Amino acid sequence: MTSRRILIIDDEETIQTVVQFGIRMAAGWEVLTAGSGPQGIHTAQTGQPDVILLDVMMPEMDGIATFRALQSHAETKQIPVIFLTAKAQTAEKRQFNDLGVSGVITKPFNSLDLPEQIARILHW
Amino acid sequence: MSKRSSRQSLRSGKANSSPKNSPQPPHPQVQRQVAQERLIPPLFEVAQDAIVLVDGQGCFVDANQAACQLFGQSRQLLIGKALSTFLGARFDCGTAFTTASSEPAIAELCSIAPNLLDPNKARREVEYTLTLNALGDCHLMLLRDISQRQEALEAELRRQRQRVELFSEVTLKIRQSLQLKEILHTTVTEVQRILQADRVLIYQVLPDGTGKTISESGLPNYPVLMDLEFPEEVFPLNYQALYAQGRVRAIADVHDPKAGLAECLVEFVDQFDIKAKLIVPIVQSITTHPTDAAQGQNQLWGLLIAHQCKSPRHWVDFELELMQQLADQISIALSQAQLLEHLEEIVETRTAELKEANRHLQQEVNDRIQAETALRQSEEQLRLITNALPVLIAYVDAQQRYRFNNQAYEEWFGKTPNEIHGDHLRQVWGQDCYERMQTYVEAALSGQVISYENDIILKNNRMRSVDVTYIPDVEGSNTVKGFFALTSDISDRKAIERMKDEFISVVSHELRTPLTSLHSALKILATGRLGNLSNEGQQMLGIADDSTERLVRLVNNVLDLQRIESGKVIMHRQACNAASLMTSAVEAMQAMAQQHEITLVSQPADLEVWADADYILQALTNLLSNAIKFSSPGGTVWLTIEPPQRQSQPIPQGSKSKSQSLKSNAQTAKLASKAARSATQNSKLRTPQSTIHNPPSFPEVVFRVRDEGQGIPAHELERIFERFQQVDSSDSRKKGGTGLGLTICRKIIEQHHGRIWAESKPGYGSVFSFTLPTLMEAESL
Repeated sequence: MTSRRILIIDDEETIQTVVQFGIRMAAGWEVLTAGSGPQGIHTAQTGQPDVILLDVMMPEMDGIATFRALQSHAETKQIPVIFLTAKAQTAEKRQFNDLGVSGVITKPFNSLDLPEQIARILHW
Repeated sequence: MSKRSSRQSLRSGKANSSPKNSPQPPHPQVQRQVAQERLIPPLFEVAQDAIVLVDGQGCFVDANQAACQLFGQSRQLLIGKALSTFLGARFDCGTAFTTASSEPAIAELCSIAPNLLDPNKARREVEYTLTLNALGDCHLMLLRDISQRQEALEAELRRQRQRVELFSEVTLKIRQSLQLKEILHTTVTEVQRILQADRVLIYQVLPDGTGKTISESGLPNYPVLMDLEFPEEVFPLNYQALYAQGRVRAIADVHDPKAGLAECLVEFVDQFDIKAKLIVPIVQSITTHPTDAAQGQNQLWGLLIAHQCKSPRHWVDFELELMQQLADQISIALSQAQLLEHLEEIVETRTAELKEANRHLQQEVNDRIQAETALRQSEEQLRLITNALPVLIAYVDAQQRYRFNNQAYEEWFGKTPNEIHGDHLRQVWGQDCYERMQTYVEAALSGQVISYENDIILKNNRMRSVDVTYIPDVEGSNTVKGFFALTSDISDRKAIERMKDEFISVVSHELRTPLTSLHSALKILATGRLGNLSNEGQQMLGIADDSTERLVRLVNNVLDLQRIESGKVIMHRQACNAASLMTSAVEAMQAMAQQHEITLVSQPADLEVWADADYILQALTNLLSNAIKFSSPGGTVWLTIEPPQRQSQPIPQGSKSKSQSLKSNAQTAKLASKAARSATQNSKLRTPQSTIHNPPSFPEVVFRVRDEGQGIPAHELERIFERFQQVDSSDSRKKGGTGLGLTICRKIIEQHHGRIWAESKPGYGSVFSFTLPTLMEAESL
């Protein structure tokens, strides 16, 4: 499996940690972390990850706003975004799909399964 | 004198007839003639009637003695005088002598002669007969004075007229009264006055043969008989029978043996100074019916009796007749009195009936007044109750106009019930709100019990959430006259529900994030790449991992259920292929089945259903997961589908009553579907139930998940669809269930207007079935 660079944007530090550990352990991919929307946008611009895992529920700038901001920047526009959400419902998944996100992964998830899930969603 | 010589006189005949040659014996015929001639003149003279001879000019030729008396002239004076001088204008000689008849005629005798014999008889009538040419050319006239006879006739007529007048007078007096007593009194008084009798009485015969005087009028110096009762011997039955036949007794002298009175009776009448008596019966015809008098039988009612006390008296016919006629009058009066009495009886009966009817009527009026009062009180009470309740209570007629509103309408909208009365729903609620209500109003007026939620704006512009129930007012079998509307403010409840939903949502979300970390961390630990754990450590890690997974499922299910129940979930129903749904579900559960060594058998059918595929898939996987969990290894789980049947299936045991009502009424389902589309998000349709229409059979498919597990006892079949209800709570932990799966399934199926139920035979397995409307039904919705 080709090495990939993943960016996780989540205000919860433990999530950043388990995602980072799980992905590294399961697939050996590089994981960048950000604790807020603005920080994540910056990291995305500078780090140019292959995919962004974006938490929906975040204080101040939530996932949807962050996604829209990423879409508005030329250097981040093409980066696929997968939402991480606690709102596991069908209706919300549809809503997110309508926004143009690449996929939705529902919390709680097993971070060890994330590379497989990402690969399936993005057809890697 | 030639005239006289030329005429023959009856007297002169004798002189003239003296024979000139008498010595010769006469011829027998001549002898007879001579004898006649000798006889006639004396006859002429002695005749009682006046006889005259008149000539052709109507002048006297001769007159007899009686004629001289009649005309009051001597014979010498009469002879030669004209007859017309004496017989007045009515007598015309010319006519009399030409049209003489053998019939006697009447002429008036004039008294022009100064030596009239009787000056009192100034005008007298004579009856005459004329025999023309009786003696040569002389006419014979016989005259008779009939004045006295006329006078007697006139006197008799006068007397008769007087009697008639008298009788009429008495009758009139009698008739003036209808009171029998008065009539009887008048009768005796009048009879006594007219007859100048000493005593007149009416004696009534009583049924026992005795009798008594019931009316009396008499001179004061004689004993009074009034009210005196007479023994039967005085008036025995055989006498009564005679009187009943009309016997009349006129006794001039009671002591005269010719009168034929028994000695005892004479003694009896002597007590009362009775010398003479006149008795007439008062007879009454007995009738069975007043109008049937003709068939009556005569019965002696009593006697009308006149007594003479100072002397015997010869009763004349007139007196008898008067008494009889008055007795008849009394008889008539008696009949009339009887009729009157009968009439009075009828009147009395009728009056009693009328009084009774009146009493009934009065009672009825009273009852009605009482009923009205009770009704008013009841209405007043009803109003008091409805006004005291903090909900809107109304009655709406078939034209959607208010016919009753409680006080709450004024408090909510600022309009009094009187102002609202007769208003259309649209006028009261406004166009926007009315549009949200309209579907439900129409459903209620079609006979369905309807319940829904709505948001309304009050007079202070505050928005309130309300729960509305419409109950149709059904007359007969299918006429809806209107509906009762009950609207209660559920704003507070809604606010609490929102808070609860929000709380669950937040809690669930907040739980998920640490759960993710926990879950992931445990999984990472379990890889052993962060260091090896002892066997016990691995075991503990396994427990932590399993519990975390269960906790994850629990949180997911709680959130699912909350979302469905709060109505935030909107089913996106569309045509789905049942076969692909079944295949997807089996594929999703294949891993779990293999893990549990269960064979999954699916028999998909190419049927179109109207459903939200994601949710139906969730329901199917849920049921399959349960079936797998509760089957023994090596067992089989079947997923099958049944195509629509013509008739709706009987409601199986264990199906939820709510879904039953939904299913049982496709009309309601249709409405619900329509309402769900048309109403705003807030006016959520709950589960309207119909009480009128029979469930129409709409086609639906049945999905079945069958296992060979331990089965479910009959009494648990319904309960397992409730939250956290598992047959054995230890199962829950063992099988890793949350106790919410079936509840979620039921919610999903209900949202599809289907029904779900379980059937089981403990020891042999269970079947979970649910229905979904086919596309056919969906199209008709």
